[in-house]
Amino acid sequence: MPDITPGGAIPIGAWELAIATVFVLVAGGLSLRMGLRLERDLAIATVRTYLQLFALGFVLRWVFVNQTWPIVLALLGVMVVAAARVVLKRAGNAPPGVFGSSVVAMALTGFTVTFAVTALIVRVPVWYEARYVLPIAGMVIGNSMTGIALAVERLFADLDARSAEMLGLAALGAGVWECARPSVRTALTAGLVPTINSMAAAGVVFIPGMMTGQILAGADPLEATKYQIVVMLMIAAATSIGAIASVMLMYRKRFTEDGVYLEKGYREPAA
Amino acid sequence: MSGTPLLAARDVHAVREGDHGPVAVLDGVDFALAGGTLAEVVGPSGSGKTTFLLALARLLPGVTGELALEGAYADGIAPQTWRTRVALLPQRPALVPGTVADNLRLPWTLKVRHGEQPPADDALVDALAGVGLADVAPGRDVSRLSVGQIARIALLRVMLARPRVLLLDEPDASLDDASAAEVARLTGAFVAEGGGVVRVSHVRADATATARYRLAGGRIEALHA
Repeated sequence: MPDITPGGAIPIGAWELAIATVFVLVAGGLSLRMGLRLERDLAIATVRTYLQLFALGFVLRWVFVNQTWPIVLALLGVMVVAAARVVLKRAGNAPPGVFGSSVVAMALTGFTVTFAVTALIVRVPVWYEARYVLPIAGMVIGNSMTGIALAVERLFADLDARSAEMLGLAALGAGVWECARPSVRTALTAGLVPTINSMAAAGVVFIPGMMTGQILAGADPLEATKYQIVVMLMIAAATSIGAIASVMLMYRKRFTEDGVYLEKGYREPAA
Repeated sequence: MSGTPLLAARDVHAVREGDHGPVAVLDGVDFALAGGTLAEVVGPSGSGKTTFLLALARLLPGVTGELALEGAYADGIAPQTWRTRVALLPQRPALVPGTVADNLRLPWTLKVRHGEQPPADDALVDALAGVGLADVAPGRDVSRLSVGQIARIALLRVMLARPRVLLLDEPDASLDDASAAEVARLTGAFVAEGGGVVRVSHVRADATATARYRLAGGRIEALHA
């Protein structure tokens, strides 16, 4: 019978980590055998998982002990900037200014939702309590990043696909919003549907990640349920508000001041 | 030409990014269109005919030069308002999803026409009959229209909104002879009422044109009919 930590979790050692790694090696072997050419990506991803998560573990352990509000806020800033870079990378041919808009949208939703949860729901004793603020912010910003990236990518692809329709609308006197509105709607649907689906399937199709983690760490399932509901609702709110804010900040960047859609050939180099 | 032209363009320049750097598609174009005129613009493929129409409709980025409608300079007219008066029918007209009536009334759903009354059902039926589409009910979904029907409905939509100038980019390129004749009759009626038409043609020469121009090397020159 393994030891149990004071928190109720069963500790994991090097041997247990090695067993988990063996399963990835099996997957890599299958890829090699079937000629899928995924083994290199799988290996790199596994090494990155080890390095990034151990680095995170050490950073969190240090921050939990030495927490001050500037350190906590600086870490949140790093998370937002890193997330905005991911959005930029996925958005492909996005116009200049998308990085700034992503930072604004994620900082707005990430900070607001995170501190609303920690202050009003969890009621942490210190407002910058890193043990609560950082994991919650990670979930909020991470999910909102995925929603924003999906929405932004779809926005610019749909605008391009509708350029002939938009030219016809503009020729009839339509303004920028009237031309772009169908694409904005399509983009926001693309950004929000995964979150809505995930809420609908939670507890029926799968046990959500945070709840699983808490149960494995020895928490009472009902307590874990309440936390999970809070987390899912705040993720839904952050993703929705983040995607709406970023799409509304960005769609105009593809039009001139006179309301003309910038076709390829008239655009500044991509962001 | 005497008096104030219906539409005037002076020293219009438009540059487009080409494979080997910027290309001057319009290089100092001067043009004047009187009311009651159908001007046909011809020119080799890629000479900038579509660019010329887009510039006149203020639908092209980075254009310089002067435009005026009935003596009023474009600077003093909001771009959206300008486009309701100088209306472009693009070469590949796209209808929005919905019915024929939804599309014909689309201009009146836009902010720029706020407060104006859209045409009634009877007016739509009459208008459809006027372009040889008497068999198309206003309630028909646009997904059930042929290419030729779409082209005529797009033209009708622009004309119902009563612009002063019509800019037509190869309006009959996808039409059979009978449909092309309907389009020519419709634009002829518009001109007879004092409107101005600039028509870019590739497929058929327009026998009803009252002025002809050639666009080449970024410049436009009048041709003798």
